Amino acid sequence: MIKFQNVTKTYKESVVALEDVSLEISKGEFVFIVGPSGSGKSTFIRLLLKEEEPTAGSLWVAGKNVTRLSRWKIPELRRNLGTVFQDFKLLPNKTVFQNVAFALEVIGKQKHIIDQRVPEIIELVGLGEKLNNLPEELSGGEQQRVSIARAFVNRPLILLADEPTGNLDPATSVEIMKLLDRINRIGTTVIMATHDNAIVDAMRRRVIELDDGRVIRDQSRGVYGYGA
Amino acid sequence: MARRLDYYFHETATGLRRNALVAFAAITTVFISLFLLGGAQLIGRQINLIIDQQTERVEVSVYLVDNISKSDFTRLNQMLHSMPQVESIRYETKQEAYQRFKELFKNQPDLVNNVSPNALPASFRVKLKNSEQFGVIKAQLEGQPGIDTIKDQSEILNRLFAVSRALRYGAYGVSAIMILSAIGLIANTVRMGIFARRKEIGIMRLVGATNWFIRVPFLIEALFEGVLGALLAIGGLYILKNIFFNQFLPAISFLPVVTTQDLLALVPVILLGGVVVALVASWLAMRRFLEV
Repeated sequence: MIKFQNVTKTYKESVVALEDVSLEISKGEFVFIVGPSGSGKSTFIRLLLKEEEPTAGSLWVAGKNVTRLSRWKIPELRRNLGTVFQDFKLLPNKTVFQNVAFALEVIGKQKHIIDQRVPEIIELVGLGEKLNNLPEELSGGEQQRVSIARAFVNRPLILLADEPTGNLDPATSVEIMKLLDRINRIGTTVIMATHDNAIVDAMRRRVIELDDGRVIRDQSRGVYGYGA
Repeated sequence: MARRLDYYFHETATGLRRNALVAFAAITTVFISLFLLGGAQLIGRQINLIIDQQTERVEVSVYLVDNISKSDFTRLNQMLHSMPQVESIRYETKQEAYQRFKELFKNQPDLVNNVSPNALPASFRVKLKNSEQFGVIKAQLEGQPGIDTIKDQSEILNRLFAVSRALRYGAYGVSAIMILSAIGLIANTVRMGIFARRKEIGIMRLVGATNWFIRVPFLIEALFEGVLGALLAIGGLYILKNIFFNQFLPAISFLPVVTTQDLLALVPVILLGGVVVALVASWLAMRRFLEV
């Protein structure tokens, strides 16, 4: 599903974000990318979205060479990748329904599809009662559920989550993880960048640890740190 | 498709409302610049009409000495006929000149009575194919025996040409500056719209909206401003033609006036101007702010 082959990303003035990263992630996997701030987690995700180009090496998403993808095909790539962020990125003047529907509207989906799929997915994330609420009327955990619903509503092959629990308390974080786990069990590949060790340890999934842009550990059913 | 159109129009309307003041300034500037452009065209056309009409009447008068010899007369006559710049020649006798003089000043009988039929010179009235070639004719005829003086009315025309040119270039210049400001203002409304919607745009990119989908509402907004300005300019020119040219000009003289056809010929040019201004402006604004 995802393949990195000797990928290096250097920012100007020789700041190395990723160095010679090679790895493969199969369909249906749940992968944690862990490591301290500045270790390259966000760069990893930005490269997958083709928001940035690698300085060297190649990477593949869903069988396509992202490095060689022409600019006009980027939207197609991103429709296969759902994204969830720490700050939710919801539109404050739109309701829960409208926020999720927005993701389908702007890729030209028809109204009857939107009207069918959006309530379904909002139900799935457990917000069926709050369809017409504005984001400011929701708790942080509920807002993150909306953002997950938006990322997932177009049934992407891969869900990218960049510190999705970073702004949430531990109890809420557990709820979000349950939701991501459910999405993973439906068959979606989930890649989650985090430095929340409690979550990583509890989930016992594959862990890729980055430090200074290098993969220093790739462990199936791993924990956050050796013996930590 | 219907839904998409609905989305575009909704977004455009929101954008225009959000930037109402800048949008108004942009539309006004497009209006003024295209109005000046079209006005310059109309004025140019009007002056050309007057020049054409006057050129019809312009002739070079070659006044002959009273005691011209028959051979000089014949030679001059042949010389004029052989000149390629000459269109036609008419000989006016002393008698005919006197008749014309009497006609011209019939309101002042004293003046007419004081001039004897013999006092006015006979002349060749020469019509030129191109009135600007007066200099060539004059140079060839000057000093020939039998000629008293050579006169021509092209001086007046030259002044008219100069005024026309100055007016038109002035209007073009102002219009060019206004067009540049119109482009700047429309680019600014687009830029402000992009800024106001940067969060939406960020999400649109993330979920895989195409570049064109993101751009179209801004493009429509710019086109709306450009075309509305152009339509106002056309309306303004229509009023200018009907009030100024049609009412005012005929009142001062029997001059030919620009026609509705002349105005209609400008309509596509002005509309195209509005569209081009809008396209250039949105291209400038989006080039920097709407890359993936």
